[in-house]
Amino acid sequence: MKEHLYLKLILIFLLAGCSSVDIGSIGRVAQQTFKAATPLSDEEEYYVGRAVAARILSSYPILENIELTDYVNLVGQTVAIHSDNPITYGGYHFAVLNTKEINAFACPGGIIFITKGMINAVQNEDELAAVLAHEVAHINHRDGVSSIQKARLTEVATLIGTEAAQTYAPAQLSQLVGLFEGSVDDVFKTLVVNGYSKSQEYHADESGLSYLSRAGYNPEALEDFLQRLMNQGQATGGGIMKTHPATAERIEKVEKEMPSAKVDISFVQLRSMRFEKAMK
Amino acid sequence: MRLPFISLFIIIATSVSLHAETVTVITKQSAIRESCRFFSPVKATVHYNDVLEIISKEGEWYKVKFEAVQGCIHKSSIEKKSISLSNLVGSEKQSTSGDEVALAGKGFNPQVEAAYQKENPSLNFRAVDRVESYDTSESKLIQFIQSGKLNLQ
Repeated sequence: MKEHLYLKLILIFLLAGCSSVDIGSIGRVAQQTFKAATPLSDEEEYYVGRAVAARILSSYPILENIELTDYVNLVGQTVAIHSDNPITYGGYHFAVLNTKEINAFACPGGIIFITKGMINAVQNEDELAAVLAHEVAHINHRDGVSSIQKARLTEVATLIGTEAAQTYAPAQLSQLVGLFEGSVDDVFKTLVVNGYSKSQEYHADESGLSYLSRAGYNPEALEDFLQRLMNQGQATGGGIMKTHPATAERIEKVEKEMPSAKVDISFVQLRSMRFEKAMK
Repeated sequence: MRLPFISLFIIIATSVSLHAETVTVITKQSAIRESCRFFSPVKATVHYNDVLEIISKEGEWYKVKFEAVQGCIHKSSIEKKSISLSNLVGSEKQSTSGDEVALAGKGFNPQVEAAYQKENPSLNFRAVDRVESYDTSESKLIQFIQSGKLNLQ
């Protein structure tokens, strides 16, 4: 009985060797199954993110301040390397938008925008790190691309199917561009118009606290910032503030998830000094 | 009678497991570092779709071999792709399988972005390129982290 089993196993391998074409197809099926489990590859997510960023930059100009941009990138990169996904296809890049709106946007793949209004609203480097950590968490969680309608992604998978060519014929390209446009619209609406879901915001806060703590920033800075905005009645707007959960509810959850490790306040003050210098 | 079958099966199974011990780079480019931590000296730079041989795993890092270089790469730079069975039978090829190559760069890719840009000329892709060009050097980031009494790792 066992010998029959061995024979069957060997026959499977031998048959495989007889037809490389068929086996290639099986390999392709395996790849497609893998792709279905992660609807968009990191590379595809990157291109969606670039297009979302282009749409945002068509509405908001970049702040022309090299020193401040450098500083924001240093804070953001510090947080990002302590996140769960410190390396993305195109890397993390941070830019300041020249608007008084209090806002921040995480484009899929790693481009993060923070408005000048938001930078003015934070009081020190640790609070700035808290805002950026929250946005890095949205990228880690792939919250942007998760808003793309599933039907579009299914259609993309069907369209690219088993074609070997990486360069598309005009008709196929036209269909893909339509699906790409729809996907970018879905993400843009979530980032700029509707906001993420309650659970996505809570989860981003929770992960953000963890990244802050790992980096050595004071995680309480997130709570301080949210509390102050709520007290000032500014807990509305877009991005990090345009959330479905009431800010009081968010603060309550942030308090519950607060890491226990204590931070030396003298270090927070030390960082505040360079924050003030960067603000000038 | 049973022994030759078992031996043959073991040989085939071993070859399957050997082929499975590779990973593919999923970032535009990534560093292979001397030791398994950020900011460790870079021994080589690998690019999208390069195939690396796994030596061992160390926490969030993999010890890998790429061409003649051995070093560490962070897990977020790589992905285990499913095995192309055509590679398992009588092939000496160590690099990426044809299927992996076929899927790399498919779907939303530069060609799709270029066509989208053409249809939406008002979108500011030039500004996006500028944002992506903001580069923070490792030495500057190390200095920033240390002077702010933050954690390097």
